[in-house]
Amino acid sequence: MTIVLNSKGFKLPRLEREKFVNLMHLGLDYSRDTMLFSIKSYNNIEQVIDTVSSILGDEVVFLQNCIRCGKAFPCKGCSYIEMCTTKNLPFSCVCPQCLRDRKNFEEYLTKF
Amino acid sequence: MQTQSKMQLLWVEKYRPRKIEDVTGNDEAKALFIEWLKNKRHTKKAVLLYGPPGVGKTTLVMAAAREFGFGVVEMNASDTRSEKAINAVAKPATSYTSLDSFAEGAKSLGNVLFLDEVDGIAGNEDRGGVNAIIKIVEQSLVPVIMAANDPDIDKLRPLKKVCLLVRFQQVRIPLIIALLQKICLLEHVKAEFEALERIAQNSRGDVRSAINDLQSLSEENNSLTLQDTMMLSSRNKDVSMDETLRRYFSAQSIVETSSLLLFSSVDYDDLLLSVADNLPKRYTDATELAKAFDYVSRADLFRGRIGTENWHLLKYFNNALAEASAVNPESYKPFTLITPPIRIMTLFWTKPKRSLLQAICAKIGAKCHVSVERAREAYVPYIRLMLIKKPRNPLAAYFEFTPEEVDYLTKMGRY
Repeated sequence: MTIVLNSKGFKLPRLEREKFVNLMHLGLDYSRDTMLFSIKSYNNIEQVIDTVSSILGDEVVFLQNCIRCGKAFPCKGCSYIEMCTTKNLPFSCVCPQCLRDRKNFEEYLTKF
Repeated sequence: MQTQSKMQLLWVEKYRPRKIEDVTGNDEAKALFIEWLKNKRHTKKAVLLYGPPGVGKTTLVMAAAREFGFGVVEMNASDTRSEKAINAVAKPATSYTSLDSFAEGAKSLGNVLFLDEVDGIAGNEDRGGVNAIIKIVEQSLVPVIMAANDPDIDKLRPLKKVCLLVRFQQVRIPLIIALLQKICLLEHVKAEFEALERIAQNSRGDVRSAINDLQSLSEENNSLTLQDTMMLSSRNKDVSMDETLRRYFSAQSIVETSSLLLFSSVDYDDLLLSVADNLPKRYTDATELAKAFDYVSRADLFRGRIGTENWHLLKYFNNALAEASAVNPESYKPFTLITPPIRIMTLFWTKPKRSLLQAICAKIGAKCHVSVERAREAYVPYIRLMLIKKPRNPLAAYFEFTPEEVDYLTKMGRY
């Protein structure tokens, strides 16, 4: 099973001190108020995803943000996933619908 | 004349982003860099932007400087960057305010020092360059920005300690397609979507080369078909050790791993050690693990036969290694990779202890007229036992052991 997370905030089970410190060291942030983890630094993002996967015991994927429509979407439906070096990592992208939709593209261009 | 020169302008320059928000991709890296630049009380005085070429590092620096009103004092790979040259150019820029800021109506916030391609500082010409940069960073009154493609080279290690590191990734294919669509619209080029798709895929995340390809293929007749893109040569890009291992263990077939190994530029010995370290994490089933280790040992055999000249055997090495990755593709679950190889790390961590033992054996060898090797094998175990039984043994004085060496001998674990 694959677990889909949103990089802006996600929950993890209670962690041992060592694992928590390791996650903070890798670039995660934790909010005591919301009890959610979020990504602060993307320098070690691959290690973050591996560590979170091993904590949750399942494959973890992050949602992507579409720069045109602003929606969060998974990499699963992307035609270029095989060639992407950052697949399933939480970075901005263009969703498949927006990429093919010329009308949407021209509307997007008028914003500039 | 002006129109003609505009037409002849490279599209890379013509569409070089003037605003931060126009820089394609790497939004997270952009945000981190801008936050650092805006913050006047930097925890780190310098920032090192690193990542593959053509992903917007230099463009972002120029766009940010323009937007925030900084003057840019730049040194790039084409300049000599020895200690002397850096001190002559960069030091004044980081210590004094530019004259522009005194001009009437000036909005300049001062200068930023931008050292592009710092990983290219090398050889006799650039002697002392890295140390000079570190000194400048420590004393600088203005933000110091650096850019590099490969930050992992040894000589940049001291530099990384004083810098905030901002990693840039390859720009994603959909983002490159979107940018190419935008340029086509502005240049009135009628392009097939599939053609843009192929250019973007071929660029492997390098925006600069994608724009250059688009211009070279479509400028003449203002149209672009998939057929036109067939002449594009594929760009071979290096794949790092981390990425190689990640993709190696998640590969679904031998063919996928083989093509990955072809692209990767990692050291074959390091790769072999790292694969062996990580296999027990990859295969939890003992039979699968044994089979995978069998393939790795075969790869090791070929590596030995390749040596330094028989590179025609490399395909057999790659094949054996590829087979180890695809023993059971369905059983793959992500795990934390062990890298660098345990053997290399162990050698690194035990170096002080090994040096101490070497010094002890040299002292024994000198007194007993034996080689260091013989002293280690035949003398050290007995001297150790004697010292454990009687710590103030006159032997210690005879061999001129220091207290640290006596301590090491009595506490050492195994022989």
